[in-house]
Amino acid sequence: MKKRGYKKFIPYIYSFPGLALIGLMIVFPILYTGYISLTNMNVYHWFDFQVIGFQNYMKALFVLDTGFLTAFGRTIVWTIVNMVLQMIIAFVIASLLNVEGLRLKGLYKTILMFPWAMPGYISILLWKMGMFNTEFGLLNHWLNKLGFANVHWLNSNNIAFASSVMVNLWLALPFMIMIIDGALQSIDKAYYESATIEGAGYFSKARKITIPLLRPIIAPAVVITIFTTFKQFDIIYLLTQQQGSKTGADIHTIITYTYEKAFVTNNYGYSSAISIIIFMILIIFSLTIRGRLKGGDVDA
Amino acid sequence: MKKLLAILLIATLCMSTIVGCGKKKEEDKNTTVDLESENPSGDKKEKAKEPTHIKIWYETQETIAEELQKELDKLAPEIVVSVERKDKLTEALKLVGNDPNSAPDMYFFAHDKIGIYAEMGILSPITDFIPESTFDDFIPMTVSAATYKDQIYQLPIYFESLLFMYNKDLMKEAPRTTDDLLAYMEANTKDGNYGFVEQHSTAYFTVGWIHAYNGFIINDKAEPGLDLKETKDAIKYHKQFVKYMPIDGDYNTMTTLFKEGKAHSTIGGPSLIPDLIENGIDIGIAPMPVVNETVKAISPFAGIQGIYVLKGAESKKEAVTKILQQLSKPDIGINLAKAMGSAPVNNNCYEDDAVKSNEIVMTLKKASATAVPMPNVPEMDVMWSITENLLSSVNKGDADPVTASDEAQKKALEQIKSMK
Repeated sequence: MKKRGYKKFIPYIYSFPGLALIGLMIVFPILYTGYISLTNMNVYHWFDFQVIGFQNYMKALFVLDTGFLTAFGRTIVWTIVNMVLQMIIAFVIASLLNVEGLRLKGLYKTILMFPWAMPGYISILLWKMGMFNTEFGLLNHWLNKLGFANVHWLNSNNIAFASSVMVNLWLALPFMIMIIDGALQSIDKAYYESATIEGAGYFSKARKITIPLLRPIIAPAVVITIFTTFKQFDIIYLLTQQQGSKTGADIHTIITYTYEKAFVTNNYGYSSAISIIIFMILIIFSLTIRGRLKGGDVDA
Repeated sequence: MKKLLAILLIATLCMSTIVGCGKKKEEDKNTTVDLESENPSGDKKEKAKEPTHIKIWYETQETIAEELQKELDKLAPEIVVSVERKDKLTEALKLVGNDPNSAPDMYFFAHDKIGIYAEMGILSPITDFIPESTFDDFIPMTVSAATYKDQIYQLPIYFESLLFMYNKDLMKEAPRTTDDLLAYMEANTKDGNYGFVEQHSTAYFTVGWIHAYNGFIINDKAEPGLDLKETKDAIKYHKQFVKYMPIDGDYNTMTTLFKEGKAHSTIGGPSLIPDLIENGIDIGIAPMPVVNETVKAISPFAGIQGIYVLKGAESKKEAVTKILQQLSKPDIGINLAKAMGSAPVNNNCYEDDAVKSNEIVMTLKKASATAVPMPNVPEMDVMWSITENLLSSVNKGDADPVTASDEAQKKALEQIKSMK
């Protein structure tokens, strides 16, 4: 009896270090942010801050004005556009990489992985200077050669949004290609052989075999990518909002918007309240997706 | 056996996690202490004075650290100074500024963050260590920059500002007025070449035009001035010049154009000069053009670099005082001027022949009469972004300067309110 009681705790003892690390590195910062959001910690009360209840939340909700709602809507559009394009392009490229008889597959895959291997910050700034720059950028250089005038890629909202999507695709596609490529290779070739014997064409095989079998394998990667895209900060910020080189385009997502509205104020209580509100939005978003997963809309 | 091994490994991991998060022993918190040391015969009679260790953080150029280190090594062996580089210094100070175990004793930085740290309560006024008369020979603008709410928090060492630079091979004579400059730009901006380029939508660069119209971004009472008539007039007037410059107004674009001889003139910092010389540009430095309407020269911001004392170092008062006294002498200013062409704050430095013969340093010295120190109030932190949004929407978009300025002022007031 005594031995069985001891055994009950074995899993907890084994997983304690992992749980302790998770608690220390993930749970504690969230709880601490929650605590700070209830205080008046700012530049004038840096070390002598006091609990002030939900005042910061009231102020934060006041700040979440029409600009926030526009940014929120833009974030949704940003996420959908990026995800749809990523899925289509990655599927096409991964399918092409799996065409039978294709030579140098390994080389192509290595080249396709390259954007993922580079630090995102450097890639974004390289795109900004090397591709989109009005004077020296490659895109305008090509346009000039073709007899067209310079395009200001990052100055107006629509074109800056499209340019940002382009950079996001460049950075994110390798991951999705890798996942879909792996999933494609795991599909039993016998299905395709049977379908071919029964006279199925490429599209019919893709619709009836490839996509249904891919879904459960790639679903977790898609969910992760949705979150990463939703809370993307670097691309929009570095391309259009970087201090000292703002481009004039107003394509804030909720993260860049709240950064500019709250985080530069040196008011940690207030910024924490905004963080917790965004955190809650993401939690609701996550629960919705999990609900859909359980409901079978996406097979996981 | 396996279970035992697993439990041992778990225990080791837990211990290492806990130990890693533990507090550092105060072993390197060296203060001046008289310790009894044993002499060779074993008697505990002789007293040996241990050196006082002072740690100084800096963030930018290594030359500064080298010169500071060289200068402060003169105080050894009584005082041992280590000048250490710290990335993201301003953020690090916010986190550890009040913890003597983690923070340095002093740090070297520009004056514009004084307000924030003074309000946080981590800075000691410099006058707690050295008398106010120390600053008698300093350029007055640099002392006012170091002052926040009537207390002097920084010992200024050198200052930087922007210069009007031109390519002597392309521009025979620098324009004296902004109307001359505009005429020059109209005549010479063609085929990928530009008469004049600047970072037209960056607050730090454009503010010189605003000052020339007697406008301002924020004053020393922390009142934003973006909706002032003077500020609006400056932004409107400045926009005429923007159409003769590359629209992106980015630092890299502007400096590359000037470095490659495609731009005849520019406004830039002195740090650009070594690169220009390396690129074979025959560079000329001229006074800032005068705005015809106000008869006032473009007056850019000045940043004053200097040293601060953190509250945690008050226990090492004697050593800190000696360091400040050492750095108040003209030597460090002269050495930095020689090493990197920076303009000393101590007027006595300008008696030195090497300093006197340095054209850049002397131009900066003259510019100090009109340069405006960056505001050091904490509220300036939110103004950079708001002002740049305003400038980029007017210069790169089609925003109306008057409406955009009014909106920017409203945002500024909201943001300042959010700080409290």
